[in-house]
Amino acid sequence: MLQYSLRRLLIGAGMLIALSMLIFLLLRLTPGDPIDAYIDPNIPMSPAQLSDLRSQLGLDQPLPVQYVAWLREALTGNLGFSIKRQDQPVLSLVLSRIAPTVLLMGSALVMAIMAGIITGVVSAVRRNSVADLSFSVFALAGISSPPFLSALIGLYIFAVSLNWAPSGGMLTPGAEFSIGDLLHHLVLPAALLSIAQAALIMRYTRASMLEVLNQDYVRTARAKGVKEFWVIAKHALRNALLPVVTLIGSTIGLAIGGAIFIESVFNWPGMGLLLVNAVETRDYPVIMGSTLIIGACVIVVNLLTDITYAVIDPRIKVG
Amino acid sequence: MKLRIIASALAISVALAGAAGLSTGPAQAATLSGGFDVGPGGFQGNFNPLAATAGFTWLSVYFEPLVAYDEKLQKVVGVLADSYEVSADQLTYTFKLADAKWHDGKPLTSKDAKFTMGLAMDARSGSVLAARLKAIASVEAPDEHTLVVKLSAPSASTLDTMTKVMMLPEHALAAIPVDQLAKNSWWSTAPIGTGPFKFTKYVTDQYVELAANIDYRGGKPALERVINRYFANPAAAIAALRAGEIQFTYVDSNDVSTFKGDEAFKVIEGDSYVVNYLGFNHESPIWKDVRVRQAVMYAINRDAIIQSLYAGAAKPANCAYVVDQLIPQGIDTYGYDPEKAKKLLEEAGWADINGDKPITLLTYYTTPLATNVLAAVQAMLAQVGINVVPRAVDTPTYNSIVLNPKPDVAQFQMVYAGLQNGPDAGSINVGLNEKQIPPAGPNVVRARMPELNSALDAALAEPDASKRDARYQDVCKVMNANLPWATMWVANRYGVVSSKLKDFIWTPAPGGGPYAAHPEKWSIGE
Repeated sequence: MLQYSLRRLLIGAGMLIALSMLIFLLLRLTPGDPIDAYIDPNIPMSPAQLSDLRSQLGLDQPLPVQYVAWLREALTGNLGFSIKRQDQPVLSLVLSRIAPTVLLMGSALVMAIMAGIITGVVSAVRRNSVADLSFSVFALAGISSPPFLSALIGLYIFAVSLNWAPSGGMLTPGAEFSIGDLLHHLVLPAALLSIAQAALIMRYTRASMLEVLNQDYVRTARAKGVKEFWVIAKHALRNALLPVVTLIGSTIGLAIGGAIFIESVFNWPGMGLLLVNAVETRDYPVIMGSTLIIGACVIVVNLLTDITYAVIDPRIKVG
Repeated sequence: MKLRIIASALAISVALAGAAGLSTGPAQAATLSGGFDVGPGGFQGNFNPLAATAGFTWLSVYFEPLVAYDEKLQKVVGVLADSYEVSADQLTYTFKLADAKWHDGKPLTSKDAKFTMGLAMDARSGSVLAARLKAIASVEAPDEHTLVVKLSAPSASTLDTMTKVMMLPEHALAAIPVDQLAKNSWWSTAPIGTGPFKFTKYVTDQYVELAANIDYRGGKPALERVINRYFANPAAAIAALRAGEIQFTYVDSNDVSTFKGDEAFKVIEGDSYVVNYLGFNHESPIWKDVRVRQAVMYAINRDAIIQSLYAGAAKPANCAYVVDQLIPQGIDTYGYDPEKAKKLLEEAGWADINGDKPITLLTYYTTPLATNVLAAVQAMLAQVGINVVPRAVDTPTYNSIVLNPKPDVAQFQMVYAGLQNGPDAGSINVGLNEKQIPPAGPNVVRARMPELNSALDAALAEPDASKRDARYQDVCKVMNANLPWATMWVANRYGVVSSKLKDFIWTPAPGGGPYAAHPEKWSIGE
């Protein structure tokens, strides 16, 4: 197990370096000159001043040299400074945005797991019933709806038309902090973010439960007179959840992608909003830093999922 | 069993909803929340007036200039200056300062004004006004309440530029080295102004909060607080307005119809003071013959575009201006005439000049409206044999292509852009005068027209205000005949406010103003 974990860790580190190279290259391939992000078009600069600035920033060096210089600093925790945010260090900027994103994604994940498993179990137990059909249709719609669409529709219905939730932000501007206010702002974006994940979890739970419900040990439990609730909750569900655990881990990447849209629409001050703002303003160091940290999170979560799966299911052989 | 599952789910939902019910709800009634930095007049995230190319609607709630436009953007009136005088030779501007105090209680003096002018004239401070203030020869503070600005040559745009110079406190900023001022955190943590509201809080990427300055010289403000909400996109601002969370925001013209007729809101309409144009890249040989440029004008049915895409809320422009006093008699109106366009192209030998080869039409406008406009323009030009291919990019990319001192002409043989044409008519100089070709300035089409340069220079240097309109008419005439751009139109812009707001003054001024908005009078009714 230790050897397996170490190997996966090394592969993860390699993926992270490959990711950083890819982002670095893609940013350089975008139209325009990186130096333009550092200068104000309203202030004329002579070619000599531009050349000095280019040299000072190391932008006159070949791309591989620039990348190695960046990587060397990144390994020491220095991800550079934001160009557009009064020279704030990228690392502290990104770290300050992790908590809101984790809160949003964590809440969405809890909602998705609860909704996905409950509806998945009901669908499997009441196969071909009206409830099964309805949940399946909702799941299909959930999987097919891109987050930017569900975010805008949800915003219009629940914030504008019904006025059940605020239209954006994390706290009421100008009001004192309160948990209630935070939850009031959190419920809608988290619920919308959870839709796609809940739909996937529901589909997997349903399929897995249907398979398990036909197993001999379930039939045996029923024959022994165990109450139906415990047959499902204890005997069937516990075994059916194994593939769902893997799925939950692998949907974290999907949730991060969705969070970027949801944060942007709801002005939720997390990493997604930071990244979108950085892209719009060509804040290269922030784009690099935040993408790298988001990538690292996805890789770590996938790694943990694989290890957890190997631990909880003895049939999985590692090494 | 099913019931128990459903009951559990309901219990969780009720718990969440219950927690939500504990929320504090909207801020108190004496607070005005708005999307002050939404739209083209806003500059979300900028706190530094020296670096502001827009966002003055918000900045002027807590900072103040010596002078500003009146609310109709017709004349310059005193703000921190009780009065001002311009000498007969247009070389000396004397400002008499009001008895005002900074938000920390210290008095405003002419030393502060002189200090601010020094920063505004120094590009090292990050001032975007430095180039426009080059005509200033000296700034003097003969007594505590008098500021004298002397010019080396008359410049008709001086007062317009002065409206954008927000006064800054010397006692708070003098210790910061000039070249580090722009990056200093003072702007977003503890700025001090003289306006009716004072800065209290900035929650990163969420909102800025101001509290009433009860010692304001114009009287205690009616509101207790003003909040500027940040929005990542205009649709979210409109949602917040409809949900009653904010009381004001800018809206795009295509969203206006959803508010008209709704008694809960008032729509404010105003001149954008931005002329939209198709700019010919004069470094590309294909536009050299004026007949080709004329053909572009005749080929585009501007009236049809204005009616169908702008719902009539735009005026066709036949030079940089549309206001009556700047339009001379007898200029060509370039009415839609595709046959004439074809004839002109034939006479110019368009088949040999370019034929049907694609011409890149670069723009930084990425709104659905602009996409539709460019699709219409592309189709109309194709009908006469000009094959333009629109390419919309983000503003930094656009700037990096067009402001490059050694530009790649193939990337922007033509641009679709906008330039401020008022309230000061001299604003267009930077986009057309040969002296403003990059890197010196933003004459991105590289117009090199001696007659136009002379007309612009003469208008800017005209000392007699009564003759200035005639000078700008000359500029219009030269533009209309020589077509450095194919001028399109000047569109209206819109804001929507809650009907509960009283005495709220807003106008879609270019860059957000500043203008005399009197925030101390704003209030919210029941």
